Amino acid sequence: MFDYSILPDETVSAIIVALVLFAFSFVFFLICSLYSLIKYMVYTNKHKEKPGLICDVAYFHERGKRENQEDSIYVSPMDKVEETGFVAACSDGMGGLLNGEVVSKYVTDSLSERFPYKFDAQEDNSRIISEISNKVYEEYHLGAGATLVMVHIYDGYMNFYSLGDSNIILIRNNRATLLNYKQNYITLMIKKCAESGMDTGLAYKDNRAKGLIDFVGNLDCNVLKTSRPLRLIENDIIIVSSDGVTDSMPLNRIVNYIHFDQNAIGIARSLKYAVRARKNPRQDNYSAVVIKMKRSFV
Amino acid sequence: MIEYYTFKHRGAADEYKDEVFLRLVPNLTVAIFNGNKLDSPKSQSLLFSEILSSDEGNKSFDYLHKVFDDCLDDDSEFLILRVEQNGIESIRRGDVSAKIVRHGQISLLPNGYFGLSSDDSIICATSNFFKYISDEGILADALVSGSCNEWMNMMIRRISDQTQLKCGNLSAVNLKLNR
Repeated sequence: MFDYSILPDETVSAIIVALVLFAFSFVFFLICSLYSLIKYMVYTNKHKEKPGLICDVAYFHERGKRENQEDSIYVSPMDKVEETGFVAACSDGMGGLLNGEVVSKYVTDSLSERFPYKFDAQEDNSRIISEISNKVYEEYHLGAGATLVMVHIYDGYMNFYSLGDSNIILIRNNRATLLNYKQNYITLMIKKCAESGMDTGLAYKDNRAKGLIDFVGNLDCNVLKTSRPLRLIENDIIIVSSDGVTDSMPLNRIVNYIHFDQNAIGIARSLKYAVRARKNPRQDNYSAVVIKMKRSFV
Repeated sequence: MIEYYTFKHRGAADEYKDEVFLRLVPNLTVAIFNGNKLDSPKSQSLLFSEILSSDEGNKSFDYLHKVFDDCLDDDSEFLILRVEQNGIESIRRGDVSAKIVRHGQISLLPNGYFGLSSDDSIICATSNFFKYISDEGILADALVSGSCNEWMNMMIRRISDQTQLKCGNLSAVNLKLNR
């Protein structure tokens, strides 16, 4: 056995202090380890499910052979996207009417001013668009107008709104689908032909049938809108564009120009150069917002 | 409340070989008969309608299936949907199918009993109808439309954009549940 009595008192005190400090730091170490373990378990539990869907966004905004850029686009701020969702819109000033660029810019500016939008309030949001349309009507009395397509994406779901003949295209499983139908006379003629059992060739022969039955600038317009949201899945690509894009590149060919593993910037760039490569002598202005749905923790 | 709309179109073919059948009591029953593969579709579709209108039309689907197996030609294709209190029961033979739109998604309606929830939308049609329209197109039109009539017109526009309705017989029924 050790005889501590022969040690000086100061040394014994020092050993006791050292032991107490060691015990204290050991307990502190245990507490810290336990705290870290609990934190880790909480984190792993929280992230057990798949990471959420996020929007990867890019756009192009190009002038074709027209004198003015009559397309206008709007992309909502991304800083509070978890609360407000993401909104993208494209407005195309109507050819043949005056002030197309002014009206389309007014439409996107008005949408920007009214942001944020409630995701589940489709009626209210379409009323906002209708009010914008009425204001254009009051100013120009059908002397100017624009089309509008708008998507609102929130928590993996999408609502969309449309007036006129611009495009909301969904690319899923390598197949492009136009989500919004074009509000023109062709639609009415097809309905009549189908109801009377005829084929609809007649509806496509008359160029005047492409005239719009509804647009921004019409009084009390009928906004096409989703009453319930559409569920999005990973790798969905949404293209919100003016008709300048699809006039030069038919819907079924769009997928030929993009790759499954491209990001939104790559897709937007591919589409832009694909339209440009067509060298259409009457190329309309062409603009689009490209959204790719990706999974991420961020 | 259940709203429905039916669509029948010859599609520039010589004759309309399909048949769409509806019965409202005691339960809403929707049936589509596809006679495109038959030599004499008229007699078969009449037989099909006759069986469904008779008392046997109310009996269980297992029983009905046996009756159809006995009476109808092997090449006759059909789909029958019967709306029950909280769901829908279906049987199908061949290329006639139904798709259901629920929670912003679209999927094929399985054979047998399937529980329904409010705001479900169903489209049943022959394969010729579905051939020219993508699932995403059907889904988008269902979500945008306010009524069955409007939904059907939007789908017809999609088919027309590709075929000008010169694609052969088109037969479809769509239903919207608003509970």
